[in-house]
Amino acid sequence: MNAKRKATKIILYVLLICLGIAMMVPFYWMVISSLKLNKDVFSIPMKWWPETMHPENYSVIWKKLPLVIFFKNTAKLTIITTIVQLCTSCFAAYGFTKCKFVGRDLIFLMYVTTIAVPWQVYMVPQFILVSKMGLNDTHIGLILMQAFSAFGVFLIRQFYISIPDELCEAARIDGLNEFGIFRRIVFPLGKPAMATLTIFTFTNVWNDFMGPLIYLKTKELKTVQLGIRMFISQYGADYAWIMAASVCSLIPIVIVFLSCQRFFVEGVAASGIKG
Amino acid sequence: MRKKQWIAALMAGAVVCSSMAACSGQKTADNQGGAGDTTTAAGQTSTTAASGDNSGTQAAGGDNSGAQASGEKQVLSVTTWDNESSPQFQAVIDAYEEKNPNVEIKIIDTSADEYNNSLGISLSAAQPDPDVIWVKDMGSMLQMADKEQLLPIDDFIAKDNFDMSIYKGAAEQLMYNGKAYALPYRNDWYVLYYNKDLFDAAGVEYPSNDMTWEEYYELAAKMTSGEGSSKVYGTHNHTWQALVTNWAVQDGKNTVVEKDYSFMKSWYEDALALQDGGYIQDYSTLKTANIHYSSVFKNQQCAMMPMGTWFIATMMQSQEEGETNFNWGVATIPHSKDTEAGYTVGALTPIAISAFTDQADLAWDFIKFASSEEAAEILAEQGVFTGIPSDAALETIASAERFPEGDSNVEALRYVHYSFDRPLDPQIEEIRTVLNEVHEMIMIHSYSVDEGIAELTERVAEIKGWN
Amino acid sequence: MSGEKTTFLTSKQRRKIRNNLTGYMFIIPNLIGYTIFVFIPVIFSFVLSVMSWDGSQRPMKFVGLANFVDIFGDRIFRGTLVHTVSYALMTVVPTLVLALLLAVLLNNKIKGVAIFRTAFYFPYIASIVAVGAVWNMLFQPDFGPINEILKFIGLKNPPRWVVDKDWAMVAVSIVSVWKYMGYYMIVYLAALQGISASLYEAAGIDGANGWQKLWYITVPMLTPTTFFVLIMLTIQCFKVFDLVYVMTGGGPGNATKTLVNYIYEKAFTSWEFGPASAGAIVLFAIVLTITLIQFSGEKKWSKDL
Repeated sequence: MNAKRKATKIILYVLLICLGIAMMVPFYWMVISSLKLNKDVFSIPMKWWPETMHPENYSVIWKKLPLVIFFKNTAKLTIITTIVQLCTSCFAAYGFTKCKFVGRDLIFLMYVTTIAVPWQVYMVPQFILVSKMGLNDTHIGLILMQAFSAFGVFLIRQFYISIPDELCEAARIDGLNEFGIFRRIVFPLGKPAMATLTIFTFTNVWNDFMGPLIYLKTKELKTVQLGIRMFISQYGADYAWIMAASVCSLIPIVIVFLSCQRFFVEGVAASGIKG
Repeated sequence: MRKKQWIAALMAGAVVCSSMAACSGQKTADNQGGAGDTTTAAGQTSTTAASGDNSGTQAAGGDNSGAQASGEKQVLSVTTWDNESSPQFQAVIDAYEEKNPNVEIKIIDTSADEYNNSLGISLSAAQPDPDVIWVKDMGSMLQMADKEQLLPIDDFIAKDNFDMSIYKGAAEQLMYNGKAYALPYRNDWYVLYYNKDLFDAAGVEYPSNDMTWEEYYELAAKMTSGEGSSKVYGTHNHTWQALVTNWAVQDGKNTVVEKDYSFMKSWYEDALALQDGGYIQDYSTLKTANIHYSSVFKNQQCAMMPMGTWFIATMMQSQEEGETNFNWGVATIPHSKDTEAGYTVGALTPIAISAFTDQADLAWDFIKFASSEEAAEILAEQGVFTGIPSDAALETIASAERFPEGDSNVEALRYVHYSFDRPLDPQIEEIRTVLNEVHEMIMIHSYSVDEGIAELTERVAEIKGWN
Repeated sequence: MSGEKTTFLTSKQRRKIRNNLTGYMFIIPNLIGYTIFVFIPVIFSFVLSVMSWDGSQRPMKFVGLANFVDIFGDRIFRGTLVHTVSYALMTVVPTLVLALLLAVLLNNKIKGVAIFRTAFYFPYIASIVAVGAVWNMLFQPDFGPINEILKFIGLKNPPRWVVDKDWAMVAVSIVSVWKYMGYYMIVYLAALQGISASLYEAAGIDGANGWQKLWYITVPMLTPTTFFVLIMLTIQCFKVFDLVYVMTGGGPGNATKTLVNYIYEKAFTSWEFGPASAGAIVLFAIVLTITLIQFSGEKKWSKDL
């Protein structure tokens, strides 16, 4: 019995390790290729370990590509969008759960019906609108179009519903006004939901490609993804450089991901289970 | 417990970052909106007014600036493509800024393949930026003119008594519906680039200035060598449809807008033969990997490459910066058996003013400068051919430091016959979409050449209403 | 003090007004933003779909259903529907099965779970451009590593992947499965942890082996999650754009052009906002149908459980 269990465990490990390696191979190939010469990237037979290291690829692309600017832009867009979304969603969720006012359910119904409309459906008119406001090719335009989400309101609302109304009633009797109740009681209790929404928005905005592709044209405003894309279209045959640029583009997200991994995992789990 | 701390830290971090970001965000917003948002306060209107006053003096004498009352810099935005890899725009921009210290040129740069696209986006939004547009090709100029996105410049021409004859007819080519919308900035035509080092290594004679297409194909086969990633291709066809159809219209007998496209048949067969023989890189590889022709030539992955004269400046800059250091040369584009050497195909690059500009006078001053003889000289030094054709410019280019040595290279820059790569047809962009689609289908063997030509004939007739 | 004067409003009414105001105060920041940037565009996209407009200063023209007739008459558009569906078919089931498999494997008490979880989840976090670039090189037909391996194991003519019109979509699907299965693995893991251990214990007492437990307890208990994942994945497949854009650009030919690629190109390359919006409405109809299926399904599960 024990031997059998041991065997199962070993099989399990072998399986997991094989799968894990298979998943990581593209990243490994990215890194080693970034350390090769352009002409050696596709050498035949394939080399899984470069004979000579060429870290100078990184200094080359560092000179050719204003990566720092791209990172700053991406970070700025991500952080502001996330914060604005978090704040307005929490406010609205409180309004929808703990306040009673005329038309509340109707407005909420509007939110719920549009939650299922994919962005791709209304991206064209949205773009026209943002452009007419003169916000095309600005960060503000891109932030505004992403900052208000029905999903955020919905997610936080679901959580706030679970906070008993008696808690708010008691506070009201104690003389707290509505804003006080929100700030002192509901907001602090809603942190798990906010963490979920933060991770969700953060990943989405950081990795967004189509939004910036449509909105951002000036090089100095571009995000990492667009910047790397631009680099690829200019230096398409310089394989090692492209790989080096790709590696650089991944470093910040790797750091963020590894340091907040638990939140990522819990965030996905939370937004997934609700369905 | 730990979880709470985490969240707190995350939030605190986020707040700090955001306040920083918010500040910088503000700055960008000011820069962005400032250029033309009509609501952005009085400062803006005064600048515009100043530019109006100012342009009078600029137009008159060319010197200016001192009179600038506000002392504030005027910002003129221009659109460029691949600005970093070629000096063709920067040289003129620098010269203009030097002459007009009170003007700051804001460059909106996009990669070449996304250029028309992104330009269209800003224009459709009727934004005041950009003010000046370098138009990538005549077709998109017609399209923009047709959508009334370009400012007619006839009034400026009349006001300044501007002499259009220096362009020797090129400016007239840019008229649409009897109105002038642009000045010819650059004039380019196709030549054949080759890698001298690769020819030397193979012990093959350099391509001559009098070569038929058949001889060129043989040469391409001869120059192909190697395997795998170190393979050197005999020549290189970029993914543009122009690199097949141009040769079909080289003799000037047909254009790319025809009722019958059978004249293209043999050219497509030749292109496919080159591809299937492995003498050029496979179309679909180039297309899907989005490979820029310049990186192929610069990485010495091809021995020859037919390309426009604009690539001279790119190569010169690349050598100057030490990015490449092999020897290269220029030859006349091959010709068909029934025409003589020196028949070429080319196109004008216009420079125009956006219909939505808020700096029309300043923009006019800039485009006038950019297509002036003075600018032509500056550009010639960089290896760029301008809309003002002259022997002097040719000599300047030939004597530039990084221009390949040898008379044959200079000889290669002369042509005896020049046809436009596309006719001035108001529907040319629509037709070119069809041309490109069919080109792609033929090159990836989705269509046979005959099927492709039949479809081309049918769809173009549909667009033109010939059915 | 002023209460005396406004007695024509009872205190109850006053409180009601105040409540209304506070309520609106809370939702107003989001409501304004959401109205401008989502509600209006959504409605406008329906309007645009029956208009002809090129984005210039010229006014739009009402054309009725002509845009829909146009796009359904367009071979390229019909092609995008086929490509999108085939992408979904090739992506959904493998992603789902692999995600479930990984989750079941990781749900065991073993050391280093976190490391494996990170490895499987990481592709989801990695930016699409970098991922597209590296896979394009891996798929390089003549000397890329994948074909080298295939040749090594004896395949004479390995597929030419992204440069072959018949294989390009397969290549995109492979990358998609690789990139997204980690995400759904986490969803499954969360669901697995929600299954009560007592069920397994009871089954163990009855003498069920591992496979039986998996088949008779885990899989049925996960049905609602599977349904949810299925719906999410399908919707996601119909919205695909980035991966195709960075890997193949819709080519070769139009072999990998998807619905959203079509909308994007019509809108932002050809400036035909009418047909673009008509395409968007088609996308909307598809997603709506799937969502409705989800709703009816959810009702069923909630009745069952």
